[in-house]
Amino acid sequence: MALLSVQDLVVRFRTHEGTIHAVNGVTFELEEGERLGLVGESGCGKSVTNLAIIRLLPKPAGRIEGGRVLFEGQDLLVLREDEVRDIRGSDIAMIFQDPMTSLNPVLTIQEQMVETIQAHRKVSKEDARARAIELLAMVGIPNPAARLKSFPHQFSGGMRQRVMIAMALALAPKLLIADEPTTALDVTIQAQVLELLAQLTTKSSTALILITHDLGVVAGMTQRINVMYAGFIVETAPTAELFARPSHPYSVGLLHSIPRLDEEGGEELIPIEGRPPDMRRAPTGCPFAPRCAWRVEACWTNNPELRPLTEGGPVVMTGPKATHRIACHNPPTPNEVRGGRPLRAGFTAAPPPAEMLDELSLAPAEVTADLKGLMAGIQVEEGPLSVYPSAGGLPIPPEPERRNDGL
Amino acid sequence: MGKYIVRRLLGAIPVLIGLSIILFAFVHLLPGDPATAILGQHATPERVAAMRAYLGLDLPLWQQYLGYVGGLLRGDFGSSVINNQPLLRELLTRFPATLELTVAAMIYAVGVGIPLGRFASRHAQGWSDGAVTVVSLLGISIPVFVLGLTLQYIFAVELGVLPAGGRIDPRANLHIQSNFVLIDSLLMGRPDLFIDGIRHLILPAIALGSIPLAIITRITRASVLDVSNEDHVRTARAKGLKEKRVNSRHIMRNAWLPVVTVIGIQVGGLLGGAVITETVFAWNGVGRFVVEAINNRDYLVVQNTILIFALVFLAVNLIVDILYAFINPRIRYA
Amino acid sequence: MAAPAIRVGRPVEARASRGLWSDAFRRLLRNRPALVGVLFIALFVVTALIAPLIAPYAPLAGTLADRLQPPNTAHLMGTDLQGRDELSRVMYGARVSLVAGVASVVMGVFIGGLIGALAGGLGGKVDSVLMRVVDVMLAIPGILLAIGIVAWLDRGLPQIMFAVAMVNVPIFARILRGSLLSLRESDYVIASRSLGASGFRVLVRHMLPNSLTPLIVAATLALATAIIDVAGLGFLGLGPPDPRTPEWGTMLTDSTKFLRQAPWLIIFPGLAIVVSAVGFNLLGDGLRESLDPRLKQ
Repeated sequence: MALLSVQDLVVRFRTHEGTIHAVNGVTFELEEGERLGLVGESGCGKSVTNLAIIRLLPKPAGRIEGGRVLFEGQDLLVLREDEVRDIRGSDIAMIFQDPMTSLNPVLTIQEQMVETIQAHRKVSKEDARARAIELLAMVGIPNPAARLKSFPHQFSGGMRQRVMIAMALALAPKLLIADEPTTALDVTIQAQVLELLAQLTTKSSTALILITHDLGVVAGMTQRINVMYAGFIVETAPTAELFARPSHPYSVGLLHSIPRLDEEGGEELIPIEGRPPDMRRAPTGCPFAPRCAWRVEACWTNNPELRPLTEGGPVVMTGPKATHRIACHNPPTPNEVRGGRPLRAGFTAAPPPAEMLDELSLAPAEVTADLKGLMAGIQVEEGPLSVYPSAGGLPIPPEPERRNDGL
Repeated sequence: MGKYIVRRLLGAIPVLIGLSIILFAFVHLLPGDPATAILGQHATPERVAAMRAYLGLDLPLWQQYLGYVGGLLRGDFGSSVINNQPLLRELLTRFPATLELTVAAMIYAVGVGIPLGRFASRHAQGWSDGAVTVVSLLGISIPVFVLGLTLQYIFAVELGVLPAGGRIDPRANLHIQSNFVLIDSLLMGRPDLFIDGIRHLILPAIALGSIPLAIITRITRASVLDVSNEDHVRTARAKGLKEKRVNSRHIMRNAWLPVVTVIGIQVGGLLGGAVITETVFAWNGVGRFVVEAINNRDYLVVQNTILIFALVFLAVNLIVDILYAFINPRIRYA
Repeated sequence: MAAPAIRVGRPVEARASRGLWSDAFRRLLRNRPALVGVLFIALFVVTALIAPLIAPYAPLAGTLADRLQPPNTAHLMGTDLQGRDELSRVMYGARVSLVAGVASVVMGVFIGGLIGALAGGLGGKVDSVLMRVVDVMLAIPGILLAIGIVAWLDRGLPQIMFAVAMVNVPIFARILRGSLLSLRESDYVIASRSLGASGFRVLVRHMLPNSLTPLIVAATLALATAIIDVAGLGFLGLGPPDPRTPEWGTMLTDSTKFLRQAPWLIIFPGLAIVVSAVGFNLLGDGLRESLDPRLKQ
């Protein structure tokens, strides 16, 4: 039995601007001690998937609308809140992206670690404290007993992420979910933190889900990769296999848009054009079709299922022998994979059917899957948030200095 | 931390100097002849001459200023031109009344505002949040005197359940010791008078406290919502903490910070509002004193009342700043 | 060649170019509370402007025989102690409040803006001296500062405007200074500096326009407090020198002794103040939300 089995998970966000289809039927499994990479552009549903697993979607907007999440055979989605709470932090732990903001600024490291331990184990404060010192030493924090009394702002970013790791591993979880754990760190620190994660999870044979938009991060860290796009898994394969034979046009695009030093001839970088789709519309065809150079007519109307690359034989869901599967009507040939573009004579990408052209051009502003905004609890109004700060004007504080004249 | 407190104390010095200059100018640079302006057109020449001497009007301006500051440091606040009483004593006997009123108003504003703000944030976007928003909007928009008169009309005139003004039933034989009605009544061992004092406090405290109440409600709501969306709160939940603990230790501990600052600022509003409230409710405090003084053109009283209010406000803000540093480790261990 | 990607929705650039203000305006139109605010403000401003046309009686005309009539068909808001029509007086009172409120806020924005611009633009010693001055002004509770100024300058409408303006000066100064300081560190100001633009040019062309939005929001909210402050001075007997002038605060003072007999003399002027203040508060909050889309809570 797999440690974790996510089946047909569907997550939607209800907002003023309509329903956001964040995760659209995601299925994958994870064995004990296995390390899985979850890769995709920001807003593709990676983080949402994982928050849904431990049922921490922002309320009330985020809703799990279908599927099952079996953890050691038990469906987490049907548990009572207090039952999930017992699993959170103890059997399944999480590490978040920004170590600067993920620790409570007004509590000492000791208070934060001790409360984690005491939330799940009946131990005295002294014992919890001793355990915390042990953990800090384990993640490489010098002079741990003294540093316990420190507040988060007294640590550097890398050190804070080490603290986060120590806290996550405090109760020897069976599964650790790391959501972009190194994105906010300096490059030199990134490698150290990843190394530490790898080393610690191996030692305790803790399963790891590593969420990232950076293929470089998962390359050396994971045994298997799920590539996500617009709330779907579009390709899944063992890591080495995926890097050797990327087969979905999106994965091909991703690999071509990062510089690679190991290939001869200084290969040309090919960016993926366009932008992620408007997630307010329920997907009809393949979600990647508008940006895809390989699209055929069927792509516009028919969303392909995840199917083995080579037919025949049973589908293996986990482990180093996992079946390489993609969701694509017209997969690139090995030559095209290398070239990064269709090479078949006379092939052009299929134009959208007439009735869809209307829909596409009429599409209102791009609430481009701004799940980041939703996750932060911000109601996205329209358009990417980054537009405004440069457009003029300063952010105005939520509550202005309102003078009380005493009248 | 010690450094921080010292820095804040030193920072108050230029403000005190600036304040003394402004208040000095207020009396010594009165348009026309200050002595005549203070004493009025009909004052006898002897009194005008005495006032000129007191103010040192024939001295150079800087000597006049030093004389004024020296007087303040010795506790010489001058005397009222109306009854020649030393001002300091008058102010000190009246100040407890103002303090009693403002403290009561603050208890009301904080005691209702913070729970209300938390309640609204819990039901953000719901109808009860909307109701709280409307109430706090009204709180900000209704002037103290309008609210005071309305309360007076409803509860004192129409319903007759609470007294319309004053600090205590005038027939009560309160033995004055501390000038705090609530304390003196207890010193006398008269709980009935204590209750009467409370009854007299209710309407003025509500009238005075409503603006701070509205502002505290709004800032609490905004602050709790803000903190609730922070990453570390998600971390706390991901650790498997109980919701109650997430609320008290992770959300509220952080949400307090802006609320404390705003409460400090509101003290200024309360002191200003006391001037109006005391007028509406015939409350014999410093505020009413200053209004009477203005109508009598008793400039020395106005000058010294402003001084006292500003000093209290500065002191309170200093205390709040220090308190803020205590609950915010980023300052405490900066 | 890769197939041209079909863009879904309008490109980002096109949206941004529509500008902060037009975007803000669109959002404002969808902000229902703000529209209610505009409605209240319109009621207040229009009444003030056309009071002579719509007031049923002259504001000073009345005979003692008509005194203290409760609201009736001839006098919709009743009559006051001198038998004057309360409705007409409330309408004329709007003129005093509008003129004094707007003038004091404009004056306050001007003086406070100047202080803030000097402090934030020049920095250094000028900044610290000016900010100490602001601290001193803030140390005196608002209404006491206004009372002091009117007591010192003597009664009169211009004095009232100045006094109320001074109450808001430190707030405007701080807001503009704060904006300028954070803009000084912003990338595009540093960029234009590095391209050789002069300090003054950067201040006037780039920093001031961008720092105005918080000031505009603050000024709108300040209109609410200004109207209340003006009425408060009137209530304390520091209103316009002619005691017969229809001014909301003064009208309230005159009526406090007749609370039992004539509550309408409290209710109607009070309501007028509250409606105007609510209007500006709603609009100010709405403006703030519209100008900063991230704020929609």
